[in-house]
Amino acid sequence: MGTPPSRGGAAAEPGNAGRVEELYRRHAAGVLARCRYLLRDDEAARDATQDVFARVLRSPGELASAGSPTGYLLRAATHQCLNVLRASRAAWRDEIRRMARDRREQGIEPESRELLRALLSAAPDEARELAVLYFVDEMTQAEIAAETGRSLPTVRKRLREFLAAARTALSEAMPDLVLPDPEALP
Amino acid sequence: MTASIGLGGPGVACSAMRVRRLDAGELSGEELLRTEAHVAGCERCQAMRRAIEAEREALHRHLPFGAFAAGVAGRLAGPAQAPGPWRRRWVPLALAAGLAAVVVTPLVRQSLSGRDDLLPGVRTKGAATVEVQVATPAGSRALAAGEPVPQGAAMRIVLAPGGRREAAVALVDRDGPALLYAGPAPSGVVPGAFEWTGEGDGELVVVLDDRPVDGAALLARLRDRGLAGAVPGRGAELVVVPLTRSAR
Repeated sequence: MGTPPSRGGAAAEPGNAGRVEELYRRHAAGVLARCRYLLRDDEAARDATQDVFARVLRSPGELASAGSPTGYLLRAATHQCLNVLRASRAAWRDEIRRMARDRREQGIEPESRELLRALLSAAPDEARELAVLYFVDEMTQAEIAAETGRSLPTVRKRLREFLAAARTALSEAMPDLVLPDPEALP
Repeated sequence: MTASIGLGGPGVACSAMRVRRLDAGELSGEELLRTEAHVAGCERCQAMRRAIEAEREALHRHLPFGAFAAGVAGRLAGPAQAPGPWRRRWVPLALAAGLAAVVVTPLVRQSLSGRDDLLPGVRTKGAATVEVQVATPAGSRALAAGEPVPQGAAMRIVLAPGGRREAAVALVDRDGPALLYAGPAPSGVVPGAFEWTGEGDGELVVVLDDRPVDGAALLARLRDRGLAGAVPGRGAELVVVPLTRSAR
């Protein structure tokens, strides 16, 4: 995703109101859901959603040239949220500790999507983004390679990195839980 | 003893993204036919479809179109990726809860009485009220009339729209106008806490109308004509709250 130009005033012109409404109708629900999932804060999610669409309207050519507008916007939302969360890894670690406590004291097994979100904190940036594409969007490794312009071996390597980092993080909080074997990922 | 836990991921033929693209009309040809046939008989993909429908309902509940369009327009009207004269800040949940719990007491509202020279044709029915709430390390409270905004305070707006259905809220200071909200007029806290950055005094401009208030157009009028351009038509109501800053 390229860097947006410095000003986007033209996109805010009244003539673009129909474009904004169409983007909202077709894509805002998925983008907001992604932001609410990753940020766990309704207000922050609303802001991140609006940031994503403002960015898209500043660079409309990027969306127009995307193979899948849905895929492009969800990636943009993921990217936006991971940037917001970059500074709060400590809070994510607290989330893993909370899950471990709930499991130990109340027998509540962590829900896989919640656990995934918490474990994202442990991974390097690029691996986190690809992990969302794989585990949340359920794209195959080949689809991820095509969507992100990376080679298939690179995608595999990043997913292995994610699982290795997640395994380390989990071994401290819930040592008896075993994550999937990276070599067995479809 | 160990237990394995999955984190999700694509199935043999299942993919959340493919269901999303199917719903968005982005598939064609063989991929469309194959995906339609699969989804029709797959409980996992049907569940994904239900989740997408739930997302649509959540969108209308959490981010109605008016608020969305206003937020996007406000961002587009300002410099890209750079802190503006006003910028939203993430407010910790504990702080937001504290703000929401404040009892609405003193109303910091200045109607346009006596300012008709500035705003010809503006009707003020006097029913709407606006309150500014601030949160500081000492706690959260309503800002008293004329009281300076504490440096670094998180702020929220509480609105009693006086029967008006739509509202827009802008902050105007020496750096220009910035849109805080546009959408259905809430009776209570206006969505979004913010911090007032920049320099100098300012004014909070609240436009209430029975028709949707175009946030981008409001900003343009405020830039071009100042407060005199704030009201979109004769049926609208305007509330202006002067803001000053506490000394650094």
